Amino acid sequence: MMPIWTKSGEKHAVTLLKVQDCHVLRYVSKEESGGKTAKLLVGGKNVSPFSKRESAHEIFKEAGVPRKQKVTTFNVTDDAIIKPGTPLYAAHFRPGQFVDVTAKTIGKGFQGVMKRWGFKGQPASHGQTKTHRRPGAISTNKAAKVYRGTKMPGEMGNIYRTSFGLKVWRINTKHDIIYVNGSVPGHTNCLVKVRDSKLPTYRHCNKNPPFPTFFADGDEELPEDLFDVEIFQFTDPSVTFA
Amino acid sequence: CRRSSDGKPPKFQPPPKPVIIDRKTQKEERRFLSPEFIPPRGRTDPLKYYIERKDMIQRRKVFNIPEFYVGSVLAVTTADPYASDKSNRFVGICIQRGGKGLGATFVLRNVIEDQGVEICYELYSPRIQAIEVLKLEKRLDDNLMYLRDALPEYSTFDVNMKPASRMEHEEIPVNKLQVRMKPKPWSKRWERPKYNIKGIKFELPEHKMKAAQKWSQPWLEFDMLREYDTSKIEEKIRKELSEELEK
Repeated sequence: MMPIWTKSGEKHAVTLLKVQDCHVLRYVSKEESGGKTAKLLVGGKNVSPFSKRESAHEIFKEAGVPRKQKVTTFNVTDDAIIKPGTPLYAAHFRPGQFVDVTAKTIGKGFQGVMKRWGFKGQPASHGQTKTHRRPGAISTNKAAKVYRGTKMPGEMGNIYRTSFGLKVWRINTKHDIIYVNGSVPGHTNCLVKVRDSKLPTYRHCNKNPPFPTFFADGDEELPEDLFDVEIFQFTDPSVTFA
Repeated sequence: CRRSSDGKPPKFQPPPKPVIIDRKTQKEERRFLSPEFIPPRGRTDPLKYYIERKDMIQRRKVFNIPEFYVGSVLAVTTADPYASDKSNRFVGICIQRGGKGLGATFVLRNVIEDQGVEICYELYSPRIQAIEVLKLEKRLDDNLMYLRDALPEYSTFDVNMKPASRMEHEEIPVNKLQVRMKPKPWSKRWERPKYNIKGIKFELPEHKMKAAQKWSQPWLEFDMLREYDTSKIEEKIRKELSEELEK
Protein backbone atom coordinates (compact mmCIF):
# COMPACT_ATOMS: atom_id res chain seq x y z
CA MET A 1 0.00 0.00 0.00
CA MET A 2 1.23 3.47 -0.85
CA PRO A 3 0.13 7.06 -0.26
CA ILE A 4 -1.17 9.13 -3.15
CA TRP A 5 -1.88 12.88 -3.11
CA THR A 6 -4.56 14.84 -4.99
CA LYS A 7 -4.04 18.28 -6.52
CA SER A 8 -5.70 19.88 -3.47
CA GLY A 9 -3.15 18.25 -1.15
CA GLU A 10 -5.33 15.48 0.33
CA LYS A 11 -3.74 12.11 0.95
CA HIS A 12 -5.32 8.77 0.05
CA ALA A 13 -3.98 5.28 0.63
CA VAL A 14 -3.71 3.09 -2.43
CA THR A 15 -3.20 -0.68 -2.97
CA LEU A 16 -1.04 -1.88 -5.85
CA LEU A 17 -2.39 -4.85 -7.81
CA LYS A 18 -0.24 -6.52 -10.46
CA VAL A 19 -1.81 -8.19 -13.50
CA GLN A 20 0.40 -11.22 -13.94
CA ASP A 21 0.00 -13.46 -17.04
CA CYS A 22 -3.79 -13.26 -17.33
CA HIS A 23 -5.31 -15.11 -20.28
CA VAL A 24 -8.87 -15.84 -21.39
CA LEU A 25 -9.27 -19.65 -21.21
CA ARG A 26 -12.75 -20.54 -22.45
CA TYR A 27 -16.03 -19.09 -23.62
CA VAL A 28 -19.18 -20.59 -22.13
CA SER A 29 -22.39 -19.56 -23.88
CA LYS A 30 -25.58 -18.55 -22.06
CA GLU A 31 -27.38 -21.83 -22.86
CA GLU A 32 -24.41 -23.98 -21.78
CA SER A 33 -23.94 -22.28 -18.44
CA GLY A 34 -27.68 -21.93 -17.71
CA GLY A 35 -27.29 -18.40 -16.36
CA LYS A 36 -28.54 -15.04 -17.61
CA THR A 37 -25.39 -14.06 -19.52
CA ALA A 38 -22.47 -15.73 -21.24
CA LYS A 39 -19.37 -16.48 -19.17
CA LEU A 40 -15.67 -16.16 -19.84
CA LEU A 41 -13.19 -18.29 -17.88
CA VAL A 42 -10.04 -16.33 -17.12
CA GLY A 43 -6.85 -17.66 -15.56
CA GLY A 44 -4.05 -15.78 -13.82
CA LYS A 45 -0.43 -16.32 -12.72
CA ASN A 46 1.56 -19.08 -14.41
CA VAL A 47 2.44 -22.06 -12.26
CA SER A 48 4.28 -25.36 -12.76
CA PRO A 49 2.22 -27.97 -14.75
CA PHE A 50 3.70 -30.93 -12.88
CA SER A 51 1.61 -30.73 -9.71
CA LYS A 52 -1.70 -31.67 -11.36
CA ARG A 53 -2.73 -34.66 -13.48
CA GLU A 54 -3.03 -34.48 -17.28
CA SER A 55 -6.83 -34.31 -17.33
CA ALA A 56 -6.73 -31.04 -15.40
CA HIS A 57 -4.61 -29.46 -18.15
CA GLU A 58 -7.27 -29.72 -20.89
CA ILE A 59 -8.58 -26.18 -20.56
CA PHE A 60 -5.08 -24.76 -20.72
CA LYS A 61 -4.07 -26.88 -23.72
CA GLU A 62 -7.14 -25.77 -25.70
CA ALA A 63 -6.29 -22.14 -25.06
CA GLY A 64 -2.58 -22.75 -25.70
CA VAL A 65 -1.51 -21.30 -22.39
CA PRO A 66 0.65 -22.59 -19.46
CA ARG A 67 -1.14 -23.84 -16.34
CA LYS A 68 -2.62 -21.04 -14.25
CA GLN A 69 -2.87 -20.92 -10.47
CA LYS A 70 -6.45 -19.61 -10.39
CA VAL A 71 -9.37 -19.80 -12.81
CA THR A 72 -12.36 -17.45 -12.31
CA THR A 73 -15.53 -16.72 -14.26
CA PHE A 74 -16.72 -13.34 -15.43
CA ASN A 75 -20.31 -12.78 -16.56
CA VAL A 76 -20.08 -11.00 -19.93
CA THR A 77 -22.58 -9.59 -22.40
CA ASP A 78 -22.56 -11.00 -25.94
CA ASP A 79 -20.75 -8.01 -27.45
CA ALA A 80 -17.83 -8.36 -25.01
CA ILE A 81 -16.82 -11.94 -25.91
CA ILE A 82 -13.07 -12.42 -26.35
CA LYS A 83 -11.32 -15.26 -28.15
CA PRO A 84 -9.76 -17.81 -25.76
CA GLY A 85 -6.01 -17.39 -25.51
CA THR A 86 -5.90 -13.58 -25.63
CA PRO A 87 -3.77 -12.05 -22.90
CA LEU A 88 -5.39 -9.47 -20.62
CA TYR A 89 -3.45 -6.44 -19.43
CA ALA A 90 -3.78 -3.78 -16.74
CA ALA A 91 -4.69 -1.26 -19.46
CA HIS A 92 -8.11 -2.98 -19.61
CA PHE A 93 -8.98 -0.60 -16.77
CA ARG A 94 -8.68 3.18 -16.96
CA PRO A 95 -8.06 5.72 -14.17
CA GLY A 96 -11.28 7.20 -12.82
CA GLN A 97 -13.10 3.88 -13.14
CA PHE A 98 -14.67 2.09 -10.17
CA VAL A 99 -13.86 -1.50 -9.43
CA ASP A 100 -14.84 -4.38 -7.11
CA VAL A 101 -12.00 -6.50 -5.74
CA THR A 102 -12.58 -10.07 -4.48
CA ALA A 103 -10.04 -12.19 -2.64
CA LYS A 104 -9.72 -14.76 0.13
CA THR A 105 -9.31 -12.98 3.48
CA ILE A 106 -6.37 -13.68 5.77
CA GLY A 107 -7.06 -16.92 7.67
CA LYS A 108 -7.07 -16.46 11.43
CA GLY A 109 -7.73 -20.11 12.35
CA PHE A 110 -10.12 -21.17 15.10
CA GLN A 111 -11.15 -17.98 16.88
CA GLY A 112 -13.35 -17.17 19.82
CA VAL A 113 -16.54 -15.23 19.73
CA MET A 114 -15.01 -11.86 20.70
CA LYS A 115 -12.59 -11.69 17.79
CA ARG A 116 -14.82 -13.47 15.27
CA TRP A 117 -18.13 -11.66 15.87
CA GLY A 118 -17.10 -8.69 18.03
CA PHE A 119 -18.96 -9.71 21.18
CA LYS A 120 -18.26 -7.66 24.31
CA GLY A 121 -17.41 -10.57 26.65
CA GLN A 122 -17.63 -10.17 30.40
CA PRO A 123 -15.81 -7.88 32.92
CA ALA A 124 -12.33 -8.85 34.09
CA SER A 125 -13.14 -8.62 37.80
CA HIS A 126 -16.07 -7.98 40.18
CA GLY A 127 -16.71 -11.63 40.89
CA GLN A 128 -16.68 -13.17 37.39
CA THR A 129 -15.83 -16.86 37.78
CA LYS A 130 -13.97 -18.29 34.79
CA THR A 131 -15.99 -16.16 32.37
CA HIS A 132 -14.24 -13.34 30.53
CA ARG A 133 -14.43 -14.05 26.78
CA ARG A 134 -17.44 -16.37 26.55
CA PRO A 135 -20.58 -15.74 24.45
CA GLY A 136 -23.00 -15.82 27.38
CA ALA A 137 -26.55 -16.71 26.32
CA ILE A 138 -27.07 -18.33 22.89
CA SER A 139 -30.87 -18.34 22.67
CA THR A 140 -34.05 -17.45 24.62
CA ASN A 141 -36.12 -19.60 26.98
CA LYS A 142 -39.30 -19.67 24.86
CA ALA A 143 -37.49 -20.80 21.72
CA ALA A 144 -36.26 -23.95 23.47
CA LYS A 145 -33.75 -24.45 20.69
CA VAL A 146 -30.68 -22.76 19.20
CA TYR A 147 -31.39 -21.12 15.85
CA ARG A 148 -29.33 -21.99 12.77
CA GLY A 149 -26.60 -19.47 12.09
CA THR A 150 -26.12 -18.49 15.75
CA LYS A 151 -22.81 -16.70 16.16
CA MET A 152 -20.38 -19.08 17.88
CA PRO A 153 -16.59 -19.68 17.88
CA GLY A 154 -15.17 -21.29 14.74
CA GLU A 155 -12.75 -20.94 11.82
CA MET A 156 -12.34 -17.26 10.92
CA GLY A 157 -11.03 -15.85 7.67
CA ASN A 158 -9.82 -17.68 4.55
CA ILE A 159 -13.15 -16.99 2.80
CA TYR A 160 -13.88 -14.91 -0.28
CA ARG A 161 -14.90 -11.33 0.42
CA THR A 162 -15.36 -8.34 -1.89
CA SER A 163 -14.57 -4.64 -1.44
CA PHE A 164 -17.01 -2.65 -3.57
CA GLY A 165 -16.65 0.65 -5.34
CA LEU A 166 -12.88 1.18 -5.25
CA LYS A 167 -11.58 3.97 -7.46
CA VAL A 168 -8.74 3.27 -9.88
CA TRP A 169 -6.23 6.13 -9.47
CA ARG A 170 -3.39 5.14 -11.76
CA ILE A 171 -2.32 2.44 -14.20
CA ASN A 172 1.26 1.47 -15.04
CA THR A 173 1.21 -0.13 -18.51
CA LYS A 174 4.89 -1.15 -18.47
CA HIS A 175 4.67 -3.34 -15.35
CA ASP A 176 0.85 -3.95 -15.56
CA ILE A 177 -0.01 -2.44 -12.17
CA ILE A 178 -3.38 -1.06 -11.11
CA TYR A 179 -3.47 1.48 -8.23
CA VAL A 180 -6.77 0.93 -6.42
CA ASN A 181 -8.12 3.21 -3.65
CA GLY A 182 -8.25 1.92 -0.08
CA SER A 183 -7.56 -1.58 1.16
CA VAL A 184 -8.29 -4.92 -0.43
CA PRO A 185 -9.03 -8.28 1.27
CA GLY A 186 -6.20 -10.81 1.41
CA HIS A 187 -2.54 -10.94 2.46
CA THR A 188 0.38 -9.45 0.47
CA ASN A 189 1.01 -11.20 -2.85
CA CYS A 190 -2.30 -13.10 -2.77
CA LEU A 191 -4.47 -13.69 -5.87
CA VAL A 192 -7.25 -11.21 -6.40
CA LYS A 193 -10.17 -10.83 -8.83
CA VAL A 194 -10.80 -7.31 -10.17
CA ARG A 195 -14.14 -6.61 -11.84
CA ASP A 196 -16.07 -3.50 -12.95
CA SER A 197 -18.19 -2.25 -10.09
CA LYS A 198 -21.78 -3.43 -9.85
CA LEU A 199 -22.86 -0.65 -7.46
CA PRO A 200 -25.74 1.43 -8.87
CA THR A 201 -23.94 4.78 -8.22
CA TYR A 202 -21.05 3.81 -10.49
CA ARG A 203 -23.10 2.20 -13.24
CA HIS A 204 -22.54 5.05 -15.72
CA CYS A 205 -19.07 5.95 -14.56
CA ASN A 206 -17.15 4.16 -17.26
CA LYS A 207 -16.78 6.52 -20.21
CA ASN A 208 -15.07 5.00 -23.25
CA PRO A 209 -13.33 2.04 -21.68
CA PRO A 210 -11.24 -0.18 -23.98
CA PHE A 211 -13.95 -2.54 -25.25
CA PRO A 212 -13.93 -5.59 -25.21
CA THR A 213 -10.40 -5.31 -23.78
CA PHE A 214 -7.04 -3.66 -24.40
CA PHE A 215 -5.14 -5.53 -27.11
CA ALA A 216 -1.38 -5.14 -26.92
CA ASP A 217 -0.82 -5.79 -30.62
CA GLY A 218 -3.35 -3.09 -31.62
CA ASP A 219 -2.57 0.37 -32.95
CA GLU A 220 -2.92 2.27 -29.66
CA GLU A 221 0.35 3.45 -28.10
CA LEU A 222 -0.29 4.12 -24.43
CA PRO A 223 2.14 6.13 -22.26
CA GLU A 224 3.90 4.24 -19.47
CA ASP A 225 1.73 5.76 -16.71
CA LEU A 226 -1.94 6.71 -16.92
CA PHE A 227 -3.06 9.06 -14.15
CA ASP A 228 -6.47 10.16 -12.93
CA VAL A 229 -7.31 13.84 -13.50
CA GLU A 230 -7.15 14.74 -9.79
CA ILE A 231 -3.82 13.10 -8.96
CA PHE A 232 -0.87 15.29 -8.04
CA GLN A 233 1.96 14.26 -10.34
CA PHE A 234 5.47 14.47 -8.96
CA THR A 235 6.69 16.33 -12.04
CA ASP A 236 4.58 19.36 -10.99
CA PRO A 237 5.84 21.92 -8.45
CA SER A 238 4.48 21.91 -4.88
CA VAL A 239 0.80 22.64 -4.22
CA THR A 240 -0.08 26.25 -3.35
CA PHE A 241 -3.47 27.58 -2.32
CA ALA A 242 -4.06 30.83 -4.17
CA CYS B 1 79.99 1.84 -3.84
CA ARG B 2 78.67 -0.61 -6.43
CA ARG B 3 81.03 -2.77 -8.42
CA SER B 4 79.85 -2.98 -11.99
CA SER B 5 80.36 -6.17 -13.93
CA ASP B 6 81.48 -4.31 -17.05
CA GLY B 7 84.11 -2.13 -15.55
CA LYS B 8 82.15 0.97 -16.59
CA PRO B 9 80.85 3.39 -13.90
CA PRO B 10 77.40 2.28 -12.52
CA LYS B 11 74.31 3.75 -14.20
CA PHE B 12 72.61 6.51 -12.29
CA GLN B 13 69.47 5.14 -10.58
CA PRO B 14 67.10 7.97 -9.79
CA PRO B 15 65.54 7.81 -6.29
CA PRO B 16 62.04 6.24 -6.13
CA LYS B 17 59.22 8.75 -6.59
CA PRO B 18 57.27 9.50 -3.37
CA VAL B 19 53.76 7.93 -3.33
CA ILE B 20 51.20 10.54 -2.25
CA ILE B 21 48.13 8.97 -0.61
CA ASP B 22 45.42 11.64 -0.86
CA ARG B 23 43.36 11.15 2.31
CA LYS B 24 40.71 13.65 1.20
CA THR B 25 39.57 11.71 -1.87
CA GLN B 26 39.40 8.57 0.21
CA LYS B 27 37.20 10.30 2.77
CA GLU B 28 34.61 11.14 0.08
CA GLU B 29 33.47 7.53 0.28
CA ARG B 30 30.97 8.76 2.89
CA ARG B 31 27.73 9.38 0.98
CA PHE B 32 24.40 10.03 2.56
CA LEU B 33 21.50 7.74 1.67
CA SER B 34 18.18 8.90 3.10
CA PRO B 35 16.85 6.12 5.39
CA GLU B 36 13.45 5.92 3.67
CA PHE B 37 15.07 4.44 0.54
CA ILE B 38 16.17 1.28 2.33
CA PRO B 39 13.35 -1.29 1.98
CA PRO B 40 12.28 -3.05 5.20
CA ARG B 41 12.56 -6.81 5.68
CA GLY B 42 9.45 -8.58 4.51
CA ARG B 43 7.80 -10.69 1.87
CA THR B 44 6.75 -7.83 -0.41
CA ASP B 45 7.72 -7.96 -4.07
CA PRO B 46 10.84 -5.78 -4.67
CA LEU B 47 9.04 -4.42 -7.75
CA LYS B 48 6.82 -2.38 -5.41
CA TYR B 49 9.86 -0.69 -3.82
CA TYR B 50 11.38 -0.06 -7.25
CA ILE B 51 8.25 1.72 -8.45
CA GLU B 52 7.99 3.70 -5.21
CA ARG B 53 11.63 4.75 -5.59
CA LYS B 54 10.95 6.01 -9.12
CA ASP B 55 8.21 8.27 -7.73
CA MET B 56 10.48 9.45 -4.91
CA ILE B 57 13.26 10.31 -7.38
CA GLN B 58 10.75 12.22 -9.52
CA ARG B 59 9.78 14.32 -6.53
CA ARG B 60 13.40 14.91 -5.54
CA LYS B 61 14.20 16.20 -9.02
CA VAL B 62 11.58 18.92 -8.71
CA PHE B 63 11.85 19.67 -4.98
CA ASN B 64 15.09 19.61 -3.02
CA ILE B 65 14.97 17.43 0.10
CA PRO B 66 18.21 18.22 1.95
CA GLU B 67 20.30 15.82 3.96
CA PHE B 68 19.42 15.92 7.64
CA TYR B 69 19.58 13.69 10.68
CA VAL B 70 17.69 13.27 13.93
CA GLY B 71 18.88 16.18 16.06
CA SER B 72 19.24 18.77 13.31
CA VAL B 73 17.17 21.94 13.40
CA LEU B 74 14.90 22.41 10.36
CA ALA B 75 12.49 25.08 9.11
CA VAL B 76 9.57 23.78 7.03
CA THR B 77 7.15 25.96 5.01
CA THR B 78 3.88 24.24 4.07
CA ALA B 79 0.88 25.44 2.09
CA ASP B 80 -1.98 26.15 4.47
CA PRO B 81 -5.44 27.03 3.06
CA TYR B 82 -6.58 28.56 6.36
CA ALA B 83 -3.63 30.92 6.97
CA SER B 84 -3.79 34.55 5.84
CA ASP B 85 -0.83 34.35 3.47
CA LYS B 86 -1.59 30.71 2.61
CA SER B 87 1.74 29.40 3.96
CA ASN B 88 2.92 28.25 7.36
CA ARG B 89 6.54 28.16 8.60
CA PHE B 90 7.60 25.95 11.51
CA VAL B 91 11.08 25.67 13.03
CA GLY B 92 12.01 22.73 15.22
CA ILE B 93 14.46 19.98 16.06
CA CYS B 94 13.93 16.68 14.26
CA ILE B 95 13.23 14.07 16.95
CA GLN B 96 12.24 11.10 14.80
CA ARG B 97 12.42 9.92 11.20
CA GLY B 98 9.92 7.17 10.47
CA GLY B 99 8.28 5.34 7.61
CA LYS B 100 9.73 3.91 4.43
CA GLY B 101 9.13 4.87 0.83
CA LEU B 102 6.73 7.65 -0.12
CA GLY B 103 5.12 7.72 3.33
CA ALA B 104 8.35 8.72 5.11
CA THR B 105 7.76 11.22 7.92
CA PHE B 106 9.80 13.33 10.30
CA VAL B 107 8.67 14.92 13.56
CA LEU B 108 9.81 18.46 14.45
CA ARG B 109 9.60 19.67 18.04
CA ASN B 110 9.77 23.19 19.44
CA VAL B 111 8.52 25.01 22.54
CA ILE B 112 6.52 28.13 21.58
CA GLU B 113 5.36 30.44 24.39
CA ASP B 114 5.88 27.70 27.00
CA GLN B 115 3.83 25.17 25.03
CA GLY B 116 5.62 22.18 23.52
CA VAL B 117 4.55 21.61 19.90
CA GLU B 118 5.40 18.59 17.76
CA ILE B 119 4.43 18.42 14.09
CA CYS B 120 4.80 15.29 11.98
CA TYR B 121 5.54 16.16 8.32
CA GLU B 122 5.54 13.83 5.34
CA LEU B 123 8.75 14.20 3.32
CA TYR B 124 7.06 13.66 -0.05
CA SER B 125 3.82 15.54 0.60
CA PRO B 126 3.12 18.09 -2.17
CA ARG B 127 1.98 20.68 0.41
CA ILE B 128 5.54 21.19 1.66
CA GLN B 129 7.01 24.17 -0.16
CA ALA B 130 10.48 24.40 1.36
CA ILE B 131 12.70 22.52 3.81
CA GLU B 132 15.78 24.40 5.11
CA VAL B 133 18.35 22.92 7.41
CA LEU B 134 19.26 25.60 9.94
CA LYS B 135 21.73 23.46 11.86
CA LEU B 136 23.00 20.14 10.57
CA GLU B 137 24.19 17.87 13.36
CA LYS B 138 23.69 14.41 14.80
CA ARG B 139 22.97 13.39 18.37
CA LEU B 140 23.92 10.35 20.39
CA ASP B 141 20.54 8.65 19.74
CA ASP B 142 18.35 7.90 16.72
CA ASN B 143 15.17 8.88 18.51
CA LEU B 144 14.87 11.98 20.67
CA MET B 145 11.37 11.34 22.04
CA TYR B 146 12.80 11.78 25.55
CA LEU B 147 12.93 15.54 24.93
CA ARG B 148 9.25 15.52 25.94
CA ASP B 149 10.31 14.66 29.49
CA ALA B 150 13.44 16.80 29.47
CA LEU B 151 13.59 20.38 30.71
CA PRO B 152 11.96 22.70 28.14
CA GLU B 153 15.18 24.63 27.51
CA TYR B 154 16.53 21.67 25.50
CA SER B 155 13.61 21.83 23.03
CA THR B 156 13.36 25.62 22.55
CA PHE B 157 14.75 26.97 19.33
CA ASP B 158 14.49 30.53 18.06
CA VAL B 159 11.89 30.78 15.31
CA ASN B 160 13.96 33.40 13.46
CA MET B 161 17.19 31.46 13.71
CA LYS B 162 19.67 32.04 10.87
CA PRO B 163 21.02 28.96 9.07
CA ALA B 164 24.42 28.05 10.47
CA SER B 165 27.15 28.27 7.85
CA ARG B 166 28.87 24.97 7.18
CA MET B 167 31.76 23.96 4.96
CA GLU B 168 31.13 21.16 2.49
CA HIS B 169 32.97 17.89 2.92
CA GLU B 170 33.23 18.38 6.65
CA GLU B 171 32.30 15.57 9.02
CA ILE B 172 28.80 15.99 10.43
CA PRO B 173 29.29 17.10 14.06
CA VAL B 174 27.89 14.78 16.73
CA ASN B 175 26.46 16.77 19.61
CA LYS B 176 27.34 14.78 22.72
CA LEU B 177 24.89 16.76 24.82
CA GLN B 178 23.53 14.94 27.87
CA VAL B 179 20.07 16.24 28.59
CA ARG B 180 18.69 16.86 32.09
CA MET B 181 15.20 15.50 32.75
CA LYS B 182 12.17 16.74 34.64
CA PRO B 183 11.35 14.74 37.79
CA LYS B 184 9.70 11.36 37.25
CA PRO B 185 7.04 10.15 36.15
CA TRP B 186 8.09 10.26 32.49
CA SER B 187 6.03 9.26 29.46
CA LYS B 188 8.27 6.23 28.98
CA ARG B 189 10.79 4.61 31.33
CA TRP B 190 13.82 5.94 29.49
CA GLU B 191 16.31 4.37 31.90
CA ARG B 192 15.40 0.85 30.69
CA PRO B 193 17.92 -0.81 28.35
CA LYS B 194 15.40 -1.42 25.55
CA TYR B 195 15.50 2.26 24.60
CA ASN B 196 19.29 2.27 24.75
CA ILE B 197 19.49 6.03 25.32
CA LYS B 198 22.89 7.63 25.65
CA GLY B 199 21.86 11.27 25.58
CA ILE B 200 20.28 11.59 29.04
CA LYS B 201 22.15 12.53 32.21
CA PHE B 202 20.33 10.18 34.58
CA GLU B 203 20.24 11.64 38.07
CA LEU B 204 18.43 8.59 39.46
CA PRO B 205 19.86 6.69 42.47
CA GLU B 206 22.14 3.71 41.75
CA HIS B 207 19.71 1.05 42.91
CA LYS B 208 17.05 2.32 40.45
CA MET B 209 19.50 2.18 37.54
CA LYS B 210 20.49 -1.35 38.55
CA ALA B 211 16.83 -2.39 38.87
CA ALA B 212 16.19 -1.08 35.34
CA GLN B 213 18.88 -3.47 34.01
CA LYS B 214 16.58 -6.35 35.04
CA TRP B 215 14.66 -5.75 31.78
CA SER B 216 17.76 -6.04 29.63
CA GLN B 217 17.77 -8.66 26.86
CA PRO B 218 21.48 -9.28 26.23
CA TRP B 219 20.77 -12.17 23.81
CA LEU B 220 19.12 -9.80 21.30
CA GLU B 221 22.37 -8.60 19.73
CA PHE B 222 23.38 -12.22 18.99
CA ASP B 223 20.03 -13.23 17.49
CA MET B 224 20.81 -14.24 13.92
CA LEU B 225 17.22 -14.16 12.73
CA ARG B 226 17.06 -10.44 13.51
CA GLU B 227 20.12 -9.62 11.43
CA TYR B 228 19.43 -7.40 8.43
CA ASP B 229 22.52 -6.52 6.46
CA THR B 230 21.68 -3.56 4.27
CA SER B 231 25.16 -2.83 2.82
CA LYS B 232 24.60 -4.51 -0.56
CA ILE B 233 21.05 -3.18 -0.91
CA GLU B 234 22.32 0.31 -0.04
CA GLU B 235 25.05 0.12 -2.69
CA LYS B 236 22.54 -0.83 -5.38
CA ILE B 237 20.14 1.92 -4.36
CA ARG B 238 22.96 4.51 -4.23
CA LYS B 239 23.99 3.60 -7.76
CA GLU B 240 20.40 3.78 -8.98
CA LEU B 241 19.88 7.16 -7.29
CA SER B 242 23.05 8.73 -8.65
CA GLU B 243 22.24 7.53 -12.18
CA GLU B 244 18.67 8.82 -12.08
CA LEU B 245 19.47 12.18 -10.49
CA GLU B 246 22.13 12.91 -13.08
CA LYS B 247 19.68 12.48 -15.95
